[in-house]
Amino acid sequence: MTGLALRTAPGTSLPGKATLALTALCSLLLLVAVWALLTGPMTLQVNDIFASVWRTLQGESLAGSADWVVRELRLPRVVLAMLVGAGLAVAGCVTQGVFRNPLADPGLIGVSSGAALAAVSVIVLSATWLQGWKGLTGPWALPLAAFAGGLLVTLVIYRLGTRQGKTQVALLLLAGIAINVLAGAATGVLTYMADDQQLRDMTFWSMGSLANARWTEIGAVACLIGLPLILVCTRARVLNAMLMGEQVAGHLGFPVQREKRLLLGAAALMVGAGVAVSGMIGFIGLVVPHLLRLSVGPDHRSLLPLSAIAGALLLLVADTLARTVMAPADLPVGLLMALIGGPVFLILLVQQSRKWI
Amino acid sequence: MTLSAKHLSVRLGGRHILSDVSLEVSSGDRIAVLGANGAGKSTLLSCLTNELRADQGDVLLAGQALHRMPATERARRLAVMPQSVTLSFPLRVHEVVALGRSPHMDEVRTRHWQQEAMQLMDVWHLRGREYTGLSGGEQQRTQMARVLVQIWSCREKGGEGHYLLLDECFSAADPAHQHSIMNRVSEFAGAGVGVLAVMHDMALAASWADRVLLLKQGEVVAFGPVELLTMPQILQVVYDLPGLLANDYARNNRHWMIRNPANPAPAERLREYSYA
Repeated sequence: MTGLALRTAPGTSLPGKATLALTALCSLLLLVAVWALLTGPMTLQVNDIFASVWRTLQGESLAGSADWVVRELRLPRVVLAMLVGAGLAVAGCVTQGVFRNPLADPGLIGVSSGAALAAVSVIVLSATWLQGWKGLTGPWALPLAAFAGGLLVTLVIYRLGTRQGKTQVALLLLAGIAINVLAGAATGVLTYMADDQQLRDMTFWSMGSLANARWTEIGAVACLIGLPLILVCTRARVLNAMLMGEQVAGHLGFPVQREKRLLLGAAALMVGAGVAVSGMIGFIGLVVPHLLRLSVGPDHRSLLPLSAIAGALLLLVADTLARTVMAPADLPVGLLMALIGGPVFLILLVQQSRKWI
Repeated sequence: MTLSAKHLSVRLGGRHILSDVSLEVSSGDRIAVLGANGAGKSTLLSCLTNELRADQGDVLLAGQALHRMPATERARRLAVMPQSVTLSFPLRVHEVVALGRSPHMDEVRTRHWQQEAMQLMDVWHLRGREYTGLSGGEQQRTQMARVLVQIWSCREKGGEGHYLLLDECFSAADPAHQHSIMNRVSEFAGAGVGVLAVMHDMALAASWADRVLLLKQGEVVAFGPVELLTMPQILQVVYDLPGLLANDYARNNRHWMIRNPANPAPAERLREYSYA
């Protein structure tokens, strides 16, 4: 069967199966987006949705309450869910590729909690120690701080877990636990320093929620997730070569160290931007690439774009469920993702442990 | 055009791993690098592939310093087969082989080459299998197909200026495949590719190489024709062998040299040695 795949489609770079999966996932994403826009306390018709989306694209002013609900409440949330989901899934794909292990999810190795700690620090300390930061960076204050936090943890983890170009996965995960504990403790200390309003903002970080979606933030996040995502997708060849180890990737003519720094930086940026607007949402980077590898294989040329679409889809579904299952309460989507992701993590762990023994 | 190492010295942790090693690989050469464990064979190879910069000395590819050459340019001329390659995620065999074309960015247009390389290495029937599920020998043959496909254009345009470096890579292959692979490698050498292979198995080296580089504790003991392997006194020095064993190995190697394609008149040469 694979022999067939070798002979067919000479002009395209994607195997047929991946193209099919991409088309299917894209159409599914569109359908789910419409469903998400329809879902909520106020009942709307499908043509209301299309009319509102059209008016948004045209840049026309708000017309009526239905239009307002779609354009100011539901649409930003849907767009944000897709952006963050895509970013987290692709970031997971990249860290797993670079560290050469399916367990190297940004959440598990502590990148997300580093980013969250940096964001919380900005919230709590912006009046005192970090006075200049918000004035300096404006609306980008939180995403940039989160990016810096995420990047710092990535570097530390990389130093700790890599010996002579080989990544010790057990060490990587244990270091991740240590960093998660440290970041948790530091966040706890900050909790004591915070006032009421700051405390409310912080709860949202610790559990992860898309409830605060605003167009102003979405603009910044779209850049900070979109650009690294495109950049990463152009690096599929390196990631494929690195599946065989850094040594072989070097033999194949890739400047491995430079590419690795670039890829990890891009991943930290996507995670940081996601964490800055939606707090800690875990397991997307773990679940999505894993399931996709099972169905289309580990070739990054198809895996990266598919991860972006599937990540967007998964977080959109999870978020829509999160705001409807216990309505009017808005369940933090991070909790829901943990419920889905926890078991997948355990299954992966069992599979991996067979290799270690 | 040659791949040459000039006076390489490498020191790691105060220990001399290589001291003053020079060699030259020219078009069509079949050089085997032999020595006891820790003699510096793999370090020498790392220097030749630019993974490791020597503390002293330079590696030149076609007169140009290897570390100044763009990595892609280097990869188009110099293919390296490592000892073993483990995959973190289960690519299929044909996908692994296609990766060999990444320096040329023409994975799709060269499918017929990839097929030929897989057939040459006897892994065509495994093309749809996951690499991680293969046996050690099958993995090595798959990797060899990937490495050969990296410099495949040699088969059409001639191999002048292309080099193949092999690092003890057939330890897991069965004897039949070991010899058939080395015959294929010889064909590449015949087309003009310069081949340098780090080897553990003296018999395989005797049956394949035209020259041997013998290392001991980072220094060159001898660099000359493959006949060096039939001299007990040299084997005794290189491998710290007791005299009787060295004799046995030398006799064995003489026998294996019959199969060597570099041996136009094996019988006469043999007689010369046995009466010497």
